[in-house]
Amino acid sequence: MREGELSKGRLALLLNLPALAGLLLILAYPIAFAGYLSLHTVSIRQLRSGELPFAGLANFARLSEDPLFWLALRHTLVFVAASVVLEMVIGLAIALVISDERVWLSRLTRVLILIPWAVPPVVNGLLWSFIVNAQFGYLNRALYKLGLLSDYVNWLGHPWLAMATVVAAYVWRTTPFNILLYHAALQGIPAQVYEAAAVDGASPGQSLRLITLPLLRPVVAVTLILRTTFSFMVFDEILAITQGGPGNDTWVAAWYTYRRAFQPPFDIGLGAASAWVLAVMVGLAALVYVRLVYRRVEYA
Amino acid sequence: MRAPGSVHPSLSRRRFVQGAAAAGLLSPRALLAQSTPWAQRPSGNPQRLTFVVWQYGKIYEQIAKQFEDDWGVKLNQIIEPNVEPQVAKLTTMFAAGDEVDVSLSPVQYLASYIQQGIVQPIDGLPGLDQYVKDFTPFARATAQRDGKTWGLPYFSTAWVFIYNDELLAKAGFKGKPFKSYPELVEQARKAKKDGVAKYPILWIAGAGFEQLPGTWFNLTWNRGGVIFDKQLNLQLGAGSVARETLKWWQSTFKEELADPNSLNLRFIPACKAFNAGQHVYLGTLHHYYISLINDQAQSPIAGKGRVLGLPGDGKTIGYTMLYFLTSATKNREWAWKLLQYLGGRTKNGEYTQAQRLAQDAMLASGYTPVMESELLRRAWAKWADVPTVLDVFRKATNFAEVVPAVYQPWYPRWSDAINVELTACLSGKITADQACDNMITALATAKRA
Repeated sequence: MREGELSKGRLALLLNLPALAGLLLILAYPIAFAGYLSLHTVSIRQLRSGELPFAGLANFARLSEDPLFWLALRHTLVFVAASVVLEMVIGLAIALVISDERVWLSRLTRVLILIPWAVPPVVNGLLWSFIVNAQFGYLNRALYKLGLLSDYVNWLGHPWLAMATVVAAYVWRTTPFNILLYHAALQGIPAQVYEAAAVDGASPGQSLRLITLPLLRPVVAVTLILRTTFSFMVFDEILAITQGGPGNDTWVAAWYTYRRAFQPPFDIGLGAASAWVLAVMVGLAALVYVRLVYRRVEYA
Repeated sequence: MRAPGSVHPSLSRRRFVQGAAAAGLLSPRALLAQSTPWAQRPSGNPQRLTFVVWQYGKIYEQIAKQFEDDWGVKLNQIIEPNVEPQVAKLTTMFAAGDEVDVSLSPVQYLASYIQQGIVQPIDGLPGLDQYVKDFTPFARATAQRDGKTWGLPYFSTAWVFIYNDELLAKAGFKGKPFKSYPELVEQARKAKKDGVAKYPILWIAGAGFEQLPGTWFNLTWNRGGVIFDKQLNLQLGAGSVARETLKWWQSTFKEELADPNSLNLRFIPACKAFNAGQHVYLGTLHHYYISLINDQAQSPIAGKGRVLGLPGDGKTIGYTMLYFLTSATKNREWAWKLLQYLGGRTKNGEYTQAQRLAQDAMLASGYTPVMESELLRRAWAKWADVPTVLDVFRKATNFAEVVPAVYQPWYPRWSDAINVELTACLSGKITADQACDNMITALATAKRA
């Protein structure tokens, strides 16, 4: 190292500083501030005046006593489980198909597969709200014309159908993300591995189970973490399609947070507490995935 | 460069010509207008004024241009697509310390806005007494409370039934819409039996502040009950009118006279569904939706929709929505001037905005002179029988008479809870008794939270 030259460590630190500052400003500060708000009595009036009375854990206590919060959490878990499983399975299936050399796909088809990912979430929600509208939606019309329905179905009027509709809308938008990652990972698996397996008499099913899936494990871990995180925070589709209805059958945690904080009586402290509980849950889920999936890859 | 509309403009040729033209127009009426508060220029020259509203056609662009032309003060128009984002925008701007001069409030949020200090009373501002004198009873009931006046009217509305004249005739009741609830059931049964309609009644029963609960409140009020008494005691106990009304309402679903899709339909989607010509009755909803149903451009049943007041003595509910002055304004006098353009008189002394809303969208006004004007009658005649609609307004009561709790800050939370119970009841999951008991329990939770 020449005199006056930065050491490798210092150079790395210097180069990372802008990104670190960005993360602190954009992520860490709002999260910390939300934590601060969750420990105070906060409404619009207090935010404007800047005088926030300390409330200790009172907001968390109120949260734990609110049956609607627990209901929203239950709905969130159902939503996360359904959407993540569907995203993973459908994403992998489509990635396997488009990665197979024997399957010819036009460029247009490949682009079309990815288009939903480019649709803004709230626009996606509005599109689906038109599609599933009981009176004039395309879904009812198509199914009716095909003879699959004898009468129009009120997709958003039944608790399970409404939740299923939101899951479908969400999965439609987000699955291309998984397809993209799986497709890239599949391209990285050497063809010789499959050839060797074929020589040894492995069936396609065995190749998938014993070669493809284990080698995809790191990507699966990443997609699991990311998709679980984002699913926990689902909001736009709820806002645009059901607004929590029918009744409160599609109230999820993010919707609960929004309603508490930004609708009268503007209980921002309670909303922040709810957001923090959600953040902790997401963090725990990520931790579990990392421990379960990453570790096994290391020893595979 | 001198600011537009400054107090002492230099005398350019254009100014001279404008002045001469204005002098030529100094009729007694114009002189009178100039002596009135709405024609007087407030002191100072604000750079710009800001209002935050939700979209309604082009009315804000039009009135903003008129304001800028009249006073030479620029307006910052923040127009959100609908109510929810408008509430979020207004409150976040207020919390952040941004300047907002004028805004508007949904009826159910006004109490929270007052409690949060977002709204300031307008008492003592020039010309207010004359506005109050012109207020309709509805507008007065909404705008004035605790001895203070909190805003000027945006529009008024009253709840009605609408029926399809052609289908009613097919069912054998030509020109004879129901006059009592047993008659409604009888006609619906006949229409169903004769195959005129699979579900003769389409209720407005989608979850919301004024849709699902509003229909129940209205039916209860029409049958002689209230939801809360004046002391804010809930009136849902055994044998109460509200509870019996809910039982009756549920029975229309059980008997399949009411379309189960009602539970998913708020006002506009319900009108679109009704426009498909599959239902005899639609209710209960704001009077002005008849303009959607009888609009040739968007309704296959245009011309067949008729307004019907509620049965019996015709008691129904309504309300007036308000524009208000925010406490975040830095120039109260100019903010008042802007507030008047949105919810009162323009410089020429006309209720310009209210007249435009009546003409373009059949909205009723919070001002008696507008409600009694020939202009309104002519405009509304395109869509409905005007005497029928005006009669509905004469029999209408302010929403808050039936539900005085609407002015309580905890009301939105209770409203969320009753939507759940009403949906569960009407969809047959629970009985009306269970729903009412649950709503009573939910009140304590809402107040505690």
